Amino acid sequence: MKSLRRILAIAHKEVLHVLRDPRSLYLALGMPVVLLVLFGFGVSFDMDHLPVALVDEDRTASSRRFAAHVFGSGELERVDAGGVTASDAVRLFEQRRAVGVLVIPAGFGASLARGRTAAVQLLLDGVDPNTATQTLGKADAVVRAAGAMLTSPGRGLPRLPVDVRVRTWFNPAGRSALYLIPGLTAYVLALASVLLTSLTLAREWERGSMQQLFATPVGRMEIILGKLLPYLGLGTTAVLLVLTAGAWVFDVPMRGDALALTACSTLFLLGMLGQGLLVSIVAKNQMVATQMATITSMLPSMLLSGFLFPIENMPAPLQVISNVVPARYFIHALRGIMLRGNGFAEVARDLVALGLFASVVFALGVARFPRTLA
Amino acid sequence: MTEHALLVRSLGKRFGSFQAVDDVSFEVERGEIFGYLGANGAGKSTTIRMLCGLLRPSSGRAEVAGHDIAVSPDRVKASIGYMSQKFSLYLDLTVEQNLEFFGGLHGLGGKALGTRIDALLEAVDLRGQRAAVTGALPGGLRQRLALASSLVHEPRIVFLDEPTAGVDPASRRTFWALIRGLAQRGTTVFVTTHYMDEAEYCARIGLMVAGRLVALDTPAALKRDLVPGRIMAVEGPGLGAATAALRAEPGVVAVEPFGAGLHVRVEASVEGAAIVARVLASAGIEPSRLEEVEPTLEDVFLAAADAGAEAKIRAAQQAETLA
Ligand SMILES: Nc1ncnc2c1ncn2[C@@H]1O[C@H](COP(=O)(O)OP(=O)(O)O)[C@@H](O)[C@H]1O
Ligand SMILES: [Mg+2]
Repeated sequence: MKSLRRILAIAHKEVLHVLRDPRSLYLALGMPVVLLVLFGFGVSFDMDHLPVALVDEDRTASSRRFAAHVFGSGELERVDAGGVTASDAVRLFEQRRAVGVLVIPAGFGASLARGRTAAVQLLLDGVDPNTATQTLGKADAVVRAAGAMLTSPGRGLPRLPVDVRVRTWFNPAGRSALYLIPGLTAYVLALASVLLTSLTLAREWERGSMQQLFATPVGRMEIILGKLLPYLGLGTTAVLLVLTAGAWVFDVPMRGDALALTACSTLFLLGMLGQGLLVSIVAKNQMVATQMATITSMLPSMLLSGFLFPIENMPAPLQVISNVVPARYFIHALRGIMLRGNGFAEVARDLVALGLFASVVFALGVARFPRTLA
Repeated sequence: MTEHALLVRSLGKRFGSFQAVDDVSFEVERGEIFGYLGANGAGKSTTIRMLCGLLRPSSGRAEVAGHDIAVSPDRVKASIGYMSQKFSLYLDLTVEQNLEFFGGLHGLGGKALGTRIDALLEAVDLRGQRAAVTGALPGGLRQRLALASSLVHEPRIVFLDEPTAGVDPASRRTFWALIRGLAQRGTTVFVTTHYMDEAEYCARIGLMVAGRLVALDTPAALKRDLVPGRIMAVEGPGLGAATAALRAEPGVVAVEPFGAGLHVRVEASVEGAAIVARVLASAGIEPSRLEEVEPTLEDVFLAAADAGAEAKIRAAQQAETLA
């Protein structure tokens, strides 16, 4: 009873601190949404509005239907090239009016009519390789689809020459927000949780109020629970906020088990809070805590988690290290639950890994949390 | 269980090779105001931290409110209030929120806590600042709030570590009136200070010099025992030049700088004023003031610090001759 009172007193004080300092609220709730929108729109702009000019040298009904299909999907944006020829492509690139030129050569319609493979040509501006790769990937998919529409089923698929295998960095699936949101959620949660908890604990050390707490009957578990519980609540709110924003703005689905998602994010958050606790014990002042918290949360959850770079493409040593990065399991579980409709059975491995990480950091933190000053 | 509010036996604290508190023993009675005096670094805060269960002693033992600090630190913590040297309340919370927080830490809540906070705010005269943000309060009021928050659970003993440091004289007087009121109602007060005038309010005083408790008694007894003889207060220009001559004079016990001038301590049997006047005259100095004064605790402190230094030197010499 008294213990509960003490924990609540500390938690209540923590809530007051947070409410008094809008920066921590921004860090926990504002930053995730801002980053989500920046990343989400930033990348999807690149993907959805790639300006491509059309040069139709065939001028048949087939070529016009083909072009209509290619640009009708909305993935490539048709720029008005007003009768350009293939040799005008360079000028379009230089003026940055197009990133690609699609050439339908004369004889396209005739080849199709005879049931032969019809060729189209795609000229790409290679100055920005990233855009070029993305355009190629898009065009490949769109041209295949358009080609299929033109071919009657009995004659078999035309083998179109735009046959490329592209690994797109951010989203092999072609829709950026879908793939980004789980990673972004993990990244932002990790950063905000570790930073906020390590700072609030370091502040008590730095200001000498921890000493004041030690002169009361309050125990270290009570201090730790009281200080961290509010941030578990804040982190959970941030998860809900990001997922809601993702669903609204980018139509990210939520196909799987919401309970499994809650379990994953709670365990992940607990691990991050424990990491913040450890950082504060080592750092004991706000400046060092800020640096340690940022480095230990941001770098692994961005670079070693599969958020930006697929884990299977990493050098072997980094792949090994990524095994102890909790964000890796959280992102994997989130993608599975949200996009593939997974439930507890499929994310069991991730849950165990997240639970293990949380238990280890908390055990270490509690053991190393000083009870006296020396 | 003992009768004493505090019982300290051979308490010591060593930081590495540095002995911050060295073999300190004393008792404090219930309801007593016990003053712990000493220069910066003398070991006052370290002693308090050990008695509050914040530091583990390196040697010796202590009982606080009847509980051994090593055996049951949690019972000790439940029966004491602690006001640390550094102001460590939360500046971003209001006065009331700070008190609620410390009440909660002691397991208080609900109506009982509300009533207690009302009474405390009344006692320290902060009712008007109840909803004020602590960071906006002037120093004197902050000290009173810190005192109130250390009293929220009605402890039997409070430890106040330099509670009036850096506070203006009027606020210091108000603060000491509060402390005296507390003691009258039976709370034991253990207070450190380096303001000698404040020490006069204490029932007894322990003098710390370099980690050792060199004297312990009532202010009056300390003056009598540590400052025997009479004190001549001298002021005037160029006194520094005559210090050596004064010291060499038979009948003069000690010459200490004091305020703007000197305190010359002479044996009780000699004609102090005449001696000092003669020495100064032969040095060509005309004092603007020369009169006998009552010893203050400052004189006690200077004498004790000297004695402490002498004792250290003697101990070192002994160790050398033994080696
Ligand atoms: N945690 C510590 N580690 C090392 N030295 C310390 C520590 N705390 C205090 N000291 C040293 O012990 C001595 C006594 O300090 P303290 O008790 O704070 O003195 P006071 O309160 O009388 O000014 C000082 O020299 C101080 O530097
Ligand atoms: Mg001190």
